[in-house]
Amino acid sequence: MAAKDKMHDELLGAWEETYKKGQLTLWIFLSLKEGPKYVTQLQESIHRFSKGTISAEEQSLYRTLRKFYHLKMVDFSSGKGHKGPDRKYYHLTPLGHSLLQSFVERNILLFFEEPLKELLIT
Amino acid sequence: MKIISRNLLLFAALLLIYTLLFRFGLGALLTQKKWFWVVIISVLYGGLIFVTALMTGRRDGKENFIFDAGFRWNFTTFVVWGIASEAWFLLGLHSTYESIRAVHITLFIWGGFLFLHFILFLILRRRTIKGVHKTDIFE
Repeated sequence: MAAKDKMHDELLGAWEETYKKGQLTLWIFLSLKEGPKYVTQLQESIHRFSKGTISAEEQSLYRTLRKFYHLKMVDFSSGKGHKGPDRKYYHLTPLGHSLLQSFVERNILLFFEEPLKELLIT
Repeated sequence: MKIISRNLLLFAALLLIYTLLFRFGLGALLTQKKWFWVVIISVLYGGLIFVTALMTGRRDGKENFIFDAGFRWNFTTFVVWGIASEAWFLLGLHSTYESIRAVHITLFIWGGFLFLHFILFLILRRRTIKGVHKTDIFE
């Protein structure tokens, strides 16, 4: 029984590892849809939204946001930090909002429709 | 996203130092007719350039995310090596066993490959959006 559980956990871990690849963008976009955030806030909200299943390193977020900024999917404005220098508060641009909406409609909302919804919860 | 990035400039500076040291060593060894060591330093020189290009290129990929199929590094090597080698001869620092013709032939053949590399880059650029490869955009 223990061996079966171990295999179950290993397979689940491997599946989740593959499943999570490419998901960071969705979590970043959802977090920014909630409102403008600086990187640490973004990191916290991704952790909170995903119930701890997704974690992103600060450097990785900076790199991704720089890329998204270059591609005009996000923009930022400077705001006061707690003590230190001003922070960059990132937000979605109209292109970012439109991309998120299209992506969700095509890839996420189908899970809320029958028969998938039924299959997922039973 | 910078075409002339910090990593590219670092690579160019190191390459210039390697090339000057190599040219100096090559001239001295050729004059002394130490053929075995000529081969050794040539291999070392090539290996050092390869490793330096690999390291600076990888770092640039992480920091700069511009997709160029390695063309900027190839072009920089061509320019730095060409200028350093031409200058070496113009300043009369070469040995009697060296010929500027060898430099010109190398630059001519290399130029052809560089052109092909540029064509390859233009073809692969179709898979990019604003200079970022499509597979590198989303994480």
